[in-house]
Amino acid sequence: MRIAILANTLPAALPIYEELKRDSDSEVFIILCPVSPDSALRELFRHCARWILKRARWQSLRLLLEGRVFYFHNTLDHPKSLTRLSKLNLELGLHKSGTIYRESTINCFRLGILNAHIGMLPAYRGRSVMEWAVLEGNELGISVFFIDAGIDTGKRIILSEKVDISHCESLAGAKQYLFSLDAVFYRRALDLVSSGQMHYKQNDLSGRRYYVMSKLFNDVAEKVLSISNQQSATSNR
Amino acid sequence: MKTREDLIVSALNGRLHELRRKHILRLAADSFCEDAAFVLQMQKQLADASLECMGALPLLINAWMDCETDCLSSLRALSLGEPLRLREAMPPAAESLLRALDEHKRNPEQRFRLLTDRYSCPLNVALASENEICEHILARLMVQDRAAIERESLSTVCADDLLLKLNLVAIAARIKSDLRFLDALNYYYELLPADWVPRANDAWLLASYLGLYARALAVRILRNQTIAHSDTREHSARRAADL
Repeated sequence: MRIAILANTLPAALPIYEELKRDSDSEVFIILCPVSPDSALRELFRHCARWILKRARWQSLRLLLEGRVFYFHNTLDHPKSLTRLSKLNLELGLHKSGTIYRESTINCFRLGILNAHIGMLPAYRGRSVMEWAVLEGNELGISVFFIDAGIDTGKRIILSEKVDISHCESLAGAKQYLFSLDAVFYRRALDLVSSGQMHYKQNDLSGRRYYVMSKLFNDVAEKVLSISNQQSATSNR
Repeated sequence: MKTREDLIVSALNGRLHELRRKHILRLAADSFCEDAAFVLQMQKQLADASLECMGALPLLINAWMDCETDCLSSLRALSLGEPLRLREAMPPAAESLLRALDEHKRNPEQRFRLLTDRYSCPLNVALASENEICEHILARLMVQDRAAIERESLSTVCADDLLLKLNLVAIAARIKSDLRFLDALNYYYELLPADWVPRANDAWLLASYLGLYARALAVRILRNQTIAHSDTREHSARRAADL
């Protein structure tokens, strides 16, 4: 299978690349695309700076030399990008960028684009879903689903699983932990897709779309998390 | 140990206190020109009102109502806790308004007109049949308007349109149990400068929004206190049963 990780930076895409290459026959590429139509030169300068400052720079260089990385000057919905994407003959895209995809971009991938969303679908769509789940005392988890042009409205959910965050000391730590699991969840989703025995869970939009949370409720969610972690530590003792 | 409901009540109490003392009472009534009397009346009322008085729900309706006054007059009345004169009526179709709101997404004056025409009785916005429109208003506030204000400045959005949406969301927050509506108000309270004097045809909508926000907070505090107390009673009963 020909797969592309769609990312804004190389360091963001690397963990997913490494996880997928571990024992897979798939051909994996990284497509670097800008979030907004910015100056191409400025964007290139940013990539160079990241390459110098971030870790795993030799690994990045190796991928560049192997021709595994494609650098797009334009946003993914730009006609030039669409032509280039079509020529790459890709089957699956993995979302790791800050982009909202248009239908024309999604259609460049034979199977579609997957997103590892840090919330339980269909209940939690949109922004700050982890914080909202904490505040509302509901389950936290990760859902991998096929993206459509809406916000977390893609109908086909491949997996939606609860994740334990009781070891995380803060909301920021919990969020980082959930994001760090995307590579593993993508690989599990790919295994399911490749098996050809997929039974999609339907995203029936029965849940709610959430928005960025206020500082007031964010602070409450932080306290709720801390108390529930104390309680689970006490019950484990 | 504090429960989730207790933590929410405590945060909302703190916000209500701050909103009344540091925000509503500090509004410069003079800057609202001919609406100064309304602002003063609201300040006076909210300065001394008890939580129970502020949290008293307006007449709860479960069917579409027509109002004798127009939308803006009704909002004024609701922010002062005054009753509306209502009569049951046939609800207009929601789909056509949604389509029209979408068609005029770059025309805030027209959107303002569409919403004020529909909601002569603003309480209708919280009816189940209005869910899609209510979600649309919430999404506009929390995505497009918020992004424009944060990325550029407050002057990039139409103040009348923004304030009308905040008033309607405050009504929904007062009636619905869904915390997202109240949190949109929390978010805008943190986003808008305390000394903001909107350049708007109906600048008093700022004062009515703050008044309705205070009332929505009071409703939620009273509701959560009830939940927290019933949880505690249930917990004690369970402990007694265990013993």
